Amino acid sequence: MKTIVIGAGLGGLLSAARLSKAGHEVEVFERLPITGGRFTNLNYKGFQLSSGAFHMLPHGPGGPLARLLEEAGAEVRIVRSEQTTIRVPLKQGKPDYAEGFKDISFIEFPSLLSHKDRLKIAFLIVSTRKNRPSGVTLEAWIKTQVKGEWLVKFADSFCGWALSLKSNEVPVEEIFEIIENMYRFGGTGIPEGGCKGIIDALEAVILENGGKIYTGQEVSKILVEKGKAAGVISESKKHEADLVISNLGHAATALLCSEALSGEVNAGYLKMLETIQPSAGIKICLAADEPLVGHSGVLLTPYTRRINGVNEVTQADPNLAPPGKHLTMCHQYVAPENVKNLDSEIDMGLADLKELFPGKKYEVLLIQSYHDSWPVNRAASGTDPGNETPIPGLYVVGDGAKGKGGIEVEGVALGVAATMKKILG
Amino acid sequence: MKINDNCVGCGQCASFCKKGAIEVRGRARATDACVECGMCIPYCPVKAIEVPA
Ligand SMILES: Cc1cc2nc3c(=O)[nH]c(=O)nc-3n(C[C@H](O)[C@H](O)[C@H](O)COP(=O)(O)OP(=O)(O)OC[C@H]3O[C@@H](n4cnc5c(N)ncnc54)[C@H](O)[C@@H]3O)c2cc1C
Ligand code: SF4
Ligand code: SF4
Repeated sequence: MKTIVIGAGLGGLLSAARLSKAGHEVEVFERLPITGGRFTNLNYKGFQLSSGAFHMLPHGPGGPLARLLEEAGAEVRIVRSEQTTIRVPLKQGKPDYAEGFKDISFIEFPSLLSHKDRLKIAFLIVSTRKNRPSGVTLEAWIKTQVKGEWLVKFADSFCGWALSLKSNEVPVEEIFEIIENMYRFGGTGIPEGGCKGIIDALEAVILENGGKIYTGQEVSKILVEKGKAAGVISESKKHEADLVISNLGHAATALLCSEALSGEVNAGYLKMLETIQPSAGIKICLAADEPLVGHSGVLLTPYTRRINGVNEVTQADPNLAPPGKHLTMCHQYVAPENVKNLDSEIDMGLADLKELFPGKKYEVLLIQSYHDSWPVNRAASGTDPGNETPIPGLYVVGDGAKGKGGIEVEGVALGVAATMKKILG
Repeated sequence: MKINDNCVGCGQCASFCKKGAIEVRGRARATDACVECGMCIPYCPVKAIEVPA
């Protein structure tokens, strides 16, 4: 069985590693000179910044990605984060970090609610595990349950950090699936060596099993013969295969085989693709001599203008920065209407940092923004259209085809695992 | 170095420029330190850096 994978992002390499281990002859074509897509390290002034991700796995060593890595034989050590904290203003009436703040642990979030709402939450935590709410957005659902604005703020900062969305964009079903996964798989973790630690381990598996990875090789067409995927054209050369797996998301994949999809029967699929929205975000990378967060988990920041959360990856792997330095990364959600105002969005993010880290010395290393064709997430969570396409033998993996309830790379892993099941049985 | 409207501001090019000649803030901009070597071009994920004429 010969399989061609288009794109050497995390989704593509996971698929290639798993299939090569199962005996497929695998070839990966990557357009860029480097592999890993939005999940690898960028060396910048001696710091291991990243091409996308915050070097963080939403469910750490117990999650779907860790499981798939193990299944594929990729050896990576994933360090479980010690905790997740929330920075809250000292004065409840004055929700402003400039007036002072304290950090509480994630599970203490109900402590900011009124007594009545706290009881309600305690009840909901139990009852919703059996009867899941559905059919509305997370924000709309919260508003039907509790009065104060705290829970919406908290939800926005969590959704902003984890999904680069606001709570009024996330279907409540998706969040309950995520909560269930938090019970099931546990909290965040950081791979040793950062994102690239995982990419290197996957490549080693592929090469060990005789697979090939070509960089600097763009695929310009997916070949379809007798209604089935039959290979690709890359740099004017034809490469035949029994299966084709695309790591580019459904829309970009469809563009590579537009003739084959032109028939009336595919009109519904193409129409659906138009509804998929990527999510946008900004990452501000900081260098500091002293810790700014102080632990290896996420610090959620609900009362800022823009910053949703911060992590300090050197707490888990000091080698991600030069000796004695810390690498701290801050994420902010960007609303679709603000993608054209990135400059003022960045200004607000930087102003937030002054209030979040008063009196601390840090240097802004690099400000990175992501949207449209190089987004935080190709399909906003809860809107992924699955891994199959109308063309037999052509599958889509990656963050445009995540599994349900899978945050970011965990969703990528769930989608790849589902695809492997279809292919390998 | 000409950077077109495809640029999303991801900063990938900046990490591969050996001259430290790229500033990024919402989008990339080449500074006077740029020697037009073209090294950064293939690293852009959205083909925003154009080959100098
Ligand atoms: C700022 C930011 C922060 C994030 N933080 C986190 C985090 O902390 N934790 C987390 O779990 N997730 C995070 N994510 C999300 C995570 O990075 C992505 O979900 C994941 O990297 C997507 O991988 P992918 O394989 O789907 O796609 P990609 O990484 O985009 O891979 C696709 C690959 O295909 C290549 N390609 C494109 N077109 C062609 C072609 N025609 N021919 C050949 N190759 C082609 C591309 O160059 C690319 O290498 C973050 C993302 C961003 C942007
Ligand atoms: S052309 Fe060369 S010097 Fe100029 S920005 Fe690109 S890599 Fe740097
Ligand atoms: S790599 Fe491309 S998209 Fe990213 S900042 Fe540079 S020019 Fe812009």
